[in-house]
Amino acid sequence: MNEFGYSGILKRRVLVVDDEEINRDILGNILGDQYEVDFAENGKKAHEILHDRMTRYSLVLLDLLMPEMDGFELLGLIRTEEATANIPVIVMTSEKPAEVRSIKQGADDFIAKPYDMPEVILARCERIIQLYEDKSIIRSAEKDELTDLYTKEFFHEYIRQIDRNCRDLSMDAIVLNIEHFHMLNEMFGRKMGDNVLRKIAGMLSDMIAEGIGIGCRPDSDYFYYYIEHRESYDEVFATLSKELSGISKIPGVRIRLGVYQNVSKDISIEERFDHAKYACDRIRGDYNRQIFFYNREEHEKDLYHEKLINDIDSAIANKDLIVFYQPKYGIQCDEPELRSAEALIRWRHPKYGMISPGDFIPLFESNGLIQKLDHFVWEVAGRQIRKWKDEFGYTVPVSVNVSRVDIYDSELENRLMKILEDNDLDAKDLMLEITESAYADDARGLTTVVERLQGRGFKIEMDDFGSGYSSLNMLTEIPIDVLKMDMKFIRNMNKDARSHKLVELVIEIADYLGVPVVAEGVEDKNQVDQLRDMGCDLIQGYYFSKPVPPEEFDKFIKAEIEKGKSAK
Amino acid sequence: MISIDGLRDFGADADSALKRCMNNEEFYLKQVNKVLTGNSFDKLKEAVVNADLDAAFEAAHALKGVLGNLGLTPLYEPVAEMTECLRSKTDKDYSAYIDVIEDRVKALNNM
Repeated sequence: MNEFGYSGILKRRVLVVDDEEINRDILGNILGDQYEVDFAENGKKAHEILHDRMTRYSLVLLDLLMPEMDGFELLGLIRTEEATANIPVIVMTSEKPAEVRSIKQGADDFIAKPYDMPEVILARCERIIQLYEDKSIIRSAEKDELTDLYTKEFFHEYIRQIDRNCRDLSMDAIVLNIEHFHMLNEMFGRKMGDNVLRKIAGMLSDMIAEGIGIGCRPDSDYFYYYIEHRESYDEVFATLSKELSGISKIPGVRIRLGVYQNVSKDISIEERFDHAKYACDRIRGDYNRQIFFYNREEHEKDLYHEKLINDIDSAIANKDLIVFYQPKYGIQCDEPELRSAEALIRWRHPKYGMISPGDFIPLFESNGLIQKLDHFVWEVAGRQIRKWKDEFGYTVPVSVNVSRVDIYDSELENRLMKILEDNDLDAKDLMLEITESAYADDARGLTTVVERLQGRGFKIEMDDFGSGYSSLNMLTEIPIDVLKMDMKFIRNMNKDARSHKLVELVIEIADYLGVPVVAEGVEDKNQVDQLRDMGCDLIQGYYFSKPVPPEEFDKFIKAEIEKGKSAK
Repeated sequence: MISIDGLRDFGADADSALKRCMNNEEFYLKQVNKVLTGNSFDKLKEAVVNADLDAAFEAAHALKGVLGNLGLTPLYEPVAEMTECLRSKTDKDYSAYIDVIEDRVKALNNM
């Protein structure tokens, strides 16, 4: 057998079937150096073991007289069932009639009882195994003909042996792919492609020959290797890449390597290579990275994000997405006065429970799906404003988020107008929040859109003011209606004199521009008093209320109405 | 205590058996003890007492294989003879064999 590295680690597997423990022990003792030996005490047990798909046997040594299922019956099954038909069977008997019957049923050889000398037994086993493996059908089952690497089945079996025999050894699972390999085949012909595969396999196998390792080609241009841990794969990669670029100069044809280092032996072999393959595929088309190391946390995060992306439509359909409202109060009066609200989305996921917006909003912003969420919130908020008007005769203007992608959507204006129409609302009932980072992308485009929306009567709020780099510059160019101070200003305002001064400054700027300031993230009375003294107009934060579902928001409206009555 | 020399004196073919055990004396003696302390002989005796010839054949056949492998010739020979007679269902007094076998097992155990 051509294994790599330390010879004697990878052994063929033999199944000894005998009901007598002493016989099994003696045979095991004889065969143990040469083979991995498993035992069964009757035909039935042996049949189960042979059909365990995880194991591949090279030989069965079979006693004839056994309880439960005897040797003849098992031999019959082995020969008629496809999965085992190609496993050689040596029957252990020295009785002539039994020999004849066994031969007729497909036995390949005999071992006498009492047993022959160990050398004879070993030679017989070896000869039969060799004979079977020389039949091409078995050979091709163990080795990939093209590269001489193992096929998946044997690869897994030998990995199990490595794990068992080298328990304390740290191992790496690596997956190598030749990206755009098909182009090699298409441009130079299949033969050339095959040569490349052979070459890569040969080089990889040479490189790992110093240590323990084994390779497999599960799929046309993928290679799997299970090798002793190494810190760096730079050299491996450089050598292979050089070789490949010597053969082909086709741009895009390149090698990428996914490595799962120090594999956990508690997870299945499939899983280990799934991880390495995930790492390998993660850098597909990313020409800055050729080697990628598997990282569990990152993988889990990716899977989580993928799940969220897949779930967004059903979340909307199943009403798992809920719009909450956080009140904004005017504070430049004797008693704080409810002025408006901000619509904030919440996701009650059937599997993950309440998901923080911080988990999914940046994700959806990065892939454009945020638009879907925005539209959903606009529509829900539009209906809610109408509902409050109808129920209480009271108007709560609601701010909704307008993301960067929305701004460049030619349908933006129509969409918003339709919501006003559908719910019979005034444009100033639905306030639009844009973030200052949108300005950094395309100042002129943003200005145009803002002006057009204002022309329709919408009020534009600048969200997260002060969190980006373009704040001051932007204020002179974009005619915003409200300025929302970034939460961080408030959080830090009492930390030191400078931070305190910054808040004052922002309020002064807003005053100079003649637009009201909203302070977000206000949590205590002290902050409210200070902000009032500084001239801040509106406050949003836990001091008044956290974001709440619309039914709960009703109480703020009722309180406001009560106040109005008692004032009269 | 059974020893290799003791087995030789008993008439066992210890040399062949040891080869079969890859020349591991400890391993060999362990297997000999196993067959003596196991219930194989009892099974055979019980079948003979009950005149259950099928069960007796199975028990004798199994024992024959093990005894042969362990080179315990003085036990192997009567058991092998019994096996052949039982195979052809020969009607005879098998308890005579059992007596011989029991004596020899006792001799081994008394070592």
